[in-house]
Amino acid sequence: MNKESATSIIQKALRKGRKALSEHESKQVLAAYQIPVTEEILVRKRSDVKKATSAVGYPLVMKGCSAEIAHKTEKGLIHVDVRSEKEALSAFDEIMSKMSGHDGDVLIYKMIKGRRELVMGLTRDEQFGPCVMFGLGGIFTEILRDVSFRRAPLEKRDALDMMNEIKGKGILDAVRGMDAADKDKLADMLIRVGQIGLEIEQVREIDLNPVILSGSNPIVVDALIVVA
Amino acid sequence: MQCNTIDYERMFHPKRIAILGVSLEGVGLGNGFLLALQAMGYEGEIFPVNPRGGTFAGLNILSKVEDIPGEIDFAIIAVAARMVPEALEACRKKGAAGAEIISSGFSEVGTSEGIALEQEIRDIASRGIRVIGPNCFGIYCPKSGLTFMPGPDLSRESGPVAFLSQSGGMASDFANTGKWMGLRFSKVVSLGNGADLRETDFLKYLGDDPETRVIAMYVEGIRDGDDFFRTAKSVAKKKPIVVYKGGLSKAGQRAVVSHTASMGGSRTVWPAILKQVNAVQVQDMQEMAQASLAFSVLPERVFQGVSVMGGGGALGIAACDAAESFGIEVPLFSSDLKARIEDCLPKPGSSGGNPVDVMNPFVSNKALKEVLRHAATDERIDLQIVISLLYHYKVLAILRCKSVAAVTPFSELADVVGDVAKETGKPIAVVLPNTRRGMGDMDVVEMLAQARQLLIERGIPVFDEIRDVFRAIAHVNSYYGKRGARDE
Repeated sequence: MNKESATSIIQKALRKGRKALSEHESKQVLAAYQIPVTEEILVRKRSDVKKATSAVGYPLVMKGCSAEIAHKTEKGLIHVDVRSEKEALSAFDEIMSKMSGHDGDVLIYKMIKGRRELVMGLTRDEQFGPCVMFGLGGIFTEILRDVSFRRAPLEKRDALDMMNEIKGKGILDAVRGMDAADKDKLADMLIRVGQIGLEIEQVREIDLNPVILSGSNPIVVDALIVVA
Repeated sequence: MQCNTIDYERMFHPKRIAILGVSLEGVGLGNGFLLALQAMGYEGEIFPVNPRGGTFAGLNILSKVEDIPGEIDFAIIAVAARMVPEALEACRKKGAAGAEIISSGFSEVGTSEGIALEQEIRDIASRGIRVIGPNCFGIYCPKSGLTFMPGPDLSRESGPVAFLSQSGGMASDFANTGKWMGLRFSKVVSLGNGADLRETDFLKYLGDDPETRVIAMYVEGIRDGDDFFRTAKSVAKKKPIVVYKGGLSKAGQRAVVSHTASMGGSRTVWPAILKQVNAVQVQDMQEMAQASLAFSVLPERVFQGVSVMGGGGALGIAACDAAESFGIEVPLFSSDLKARIEDCLPKPGSSGGNPVDVMNPFVSNKALKEVLRHAATDERIDLQIVISLLYHYKVLAILRCKSVAAVTPFSELADVVGDVAKETGKPIAVVLPNTRRGMGDMDVVEMLAQARQLLIERGIPVFDEIRDVFRAIAHVNSYYGKRGARDE
C-alpha cells in the first residue's frame, strides 16, 4: 500500500484548485492501493503517438483525459478498437480538437476484452462515513441501479454479501461460455476502495465504471475520483 | 459518558420515585403519571412534588424535592421547560440514578431558549444523574410497574422483548399492540430528544441485559453513526435487533458528481448498514411487532421447510406463493404420508399433500391433531402453520341460534395446537384471518380475540394474514442464517 504516493497526487490536484482527479491520476491512486487498472500511457504530442501505440499494442483505446471533463462518452472523447497507426493519429487529432480550451492529454491503453461490465464506488454518508458500492456497470448502472452498499472497513464477508445482493449477481457466474468472475479479487478490490476512503479524507467520491471482467479477472477501465 | 449497570437497574426498577409537577387540580402530566403508576400497581414509594403542597390520590404532595426523606432512585419530571434544570439538579442531589423528563419545549421547538435549556440538562446529566428525554413518554417496565403516561393498563407480565423508540407515540402504540398480540416486554423506552441517554446507550445496555432476548427499535436519526454501527454489530451477535427506520424517504440531497454518490443517500445506505450488522429491517410497526413476536416465541434457528394446513384450496396456494417469495419451502409429502393424512380427513374434497387442504372449516380438532402429528413426522418439516377460518362459525351460530363463542371450538383448537407443538418439538404458528369485521360481527371479533389469547398462553404465535406469518419467519431465518454463517 502506498498511501504517500496517492496522497501526493491528490494534494497536487487540490493545490491547483481542482475538484476531481483526471482519469490517469485516479488510476494512479488506485494502483497505489494495488487495485488492478489498465496499463496506459499519457500522450500530449502527436509525435509521441507512434511510440505509445507500439508499446501498448493493438487493438487499443484512446481517450481524452482531463480533470475538467466528466462524461467522456457523450462528448466523443473515446475511441475504442483502434487498430492501426493511421487510425490512432486521426483519433488523436479528433480528441485534441474536441478538448481544445481544456487542459488535457490523450490516454492510450490496450483494449480490455470482456462483455461484462461492473461498477465499484465510494460515497461518504453523513452518518456512517465512507460506504463502498458494487453493482452492474456500464450503461446499466444508471438504468437498472442494481447496486449494493457496505460501510468501510469491509470484511471479506461483507464484500461477498455485496456481490450476492445485486439482482444481476448471475453475471458473476460462468455464463454463456464466459469464466466465473474471480470473487476473491473482486472482494479484495472492494475492500481496498473502502480503505482509500478511510485513509484519505480528501477523497470524497470514487466511481470505477466500468470495471471489466477480462475472463475471470476484473480490471478498472475508467475511474473518477472526486476530491475536496 | 459511562453509565454502569447498577444505574440502569435503579432507573428501570426504582424503589423510590419522585414525580415533579403534580398539581392539585386538573389532569396534568404529573397527575397522569401518578395515577398510571398506581393503576399499574407499582409497589415502590411515590413522592409527588409541587411547591404549593396539598394532597392528591391519597398522597401528601411535598413542596420541594429536598423535603423527600432519604434518597430517591428515579424521578419523573413534568414541570414547565424553564423549571426543568432546577428540578433535575434537585433530583441529582437527592441521589437519583436517573430521571425521565416528560416536559417539552426544548431542542425540538428549535428556539434558542429551548436549545439552551437542553444544554443545561446535558450539563447536569454529566454530573451524575442520567436523563431520558426530554420530550419523551418515559419508561415502561412491567417488572417494576413503571409506565408511560398513557399506559395505566399495560401488562405487568414481563417477557423477552425490549423496545427503544424515538417516538413516544410509537412506544405507547407498540406496548399496546404487544398486549393483544402476545409480545411480553422487558423494557420499553421512549427516548424523546435524547439529550443525554440515546438509542446506542440503551442498545449497549440491552445487549447485556439478561431480561432481554429481542430488541426492537424505532429510529429516526442517530447521533453517532460509528458508535451505533459497532454497537449494533456486536449486540446482533448475541440477540436479534429489529429496526424500523423512519424518515428514509427524504434523503438528504446534496450536490454530487459521481454515480456512486447519487445512488447513495440514507434510503440506500441505511438498509445496507442494517444488513451489514445483521439487524432485521422492517417497514412499519405491524411488521416490527410480528417479527418481534416470532423472535420471542420461536426457537433460535432457521425454519427451512413448513407444512401448511388450511381450509380451501386458494388458501393453500396463497400460502405456497407467500412461502416461495420469502424463501421458505412447502415440501410435498410422500404418497405414503399423504395417504395417512387423508385417512384422517373427510372425503371427498380433502387433500393430504402439502399444503393440506382440510376441505371445510368445520373439520374436527381431533382430526386436525392427527394431521399435525403425521405431518410432523416428515423430517423436512421444521415448523407447521395452521390457517383456521374460525369466522365461518358465525354461520353455524346463526343456524343454531347460539352465540359464536358457544359454537366455535377455539379452546379445543388452542389445546390441540399447543399439545402437538409440545409433543413433536416442532413449533406451530396459527393464522386467524377474519373477513367479518363489521358492526354486525363484533361477536366474531371478540371470539377471535379470545382464541388468540388462549393460543398465546400456550406459546403459539398468531397472525392475521398468511403473508404475515411467512414474512415474520423469513426475518427469523435471515437473522439466524447469517448469524450462523458468521460464526463459522
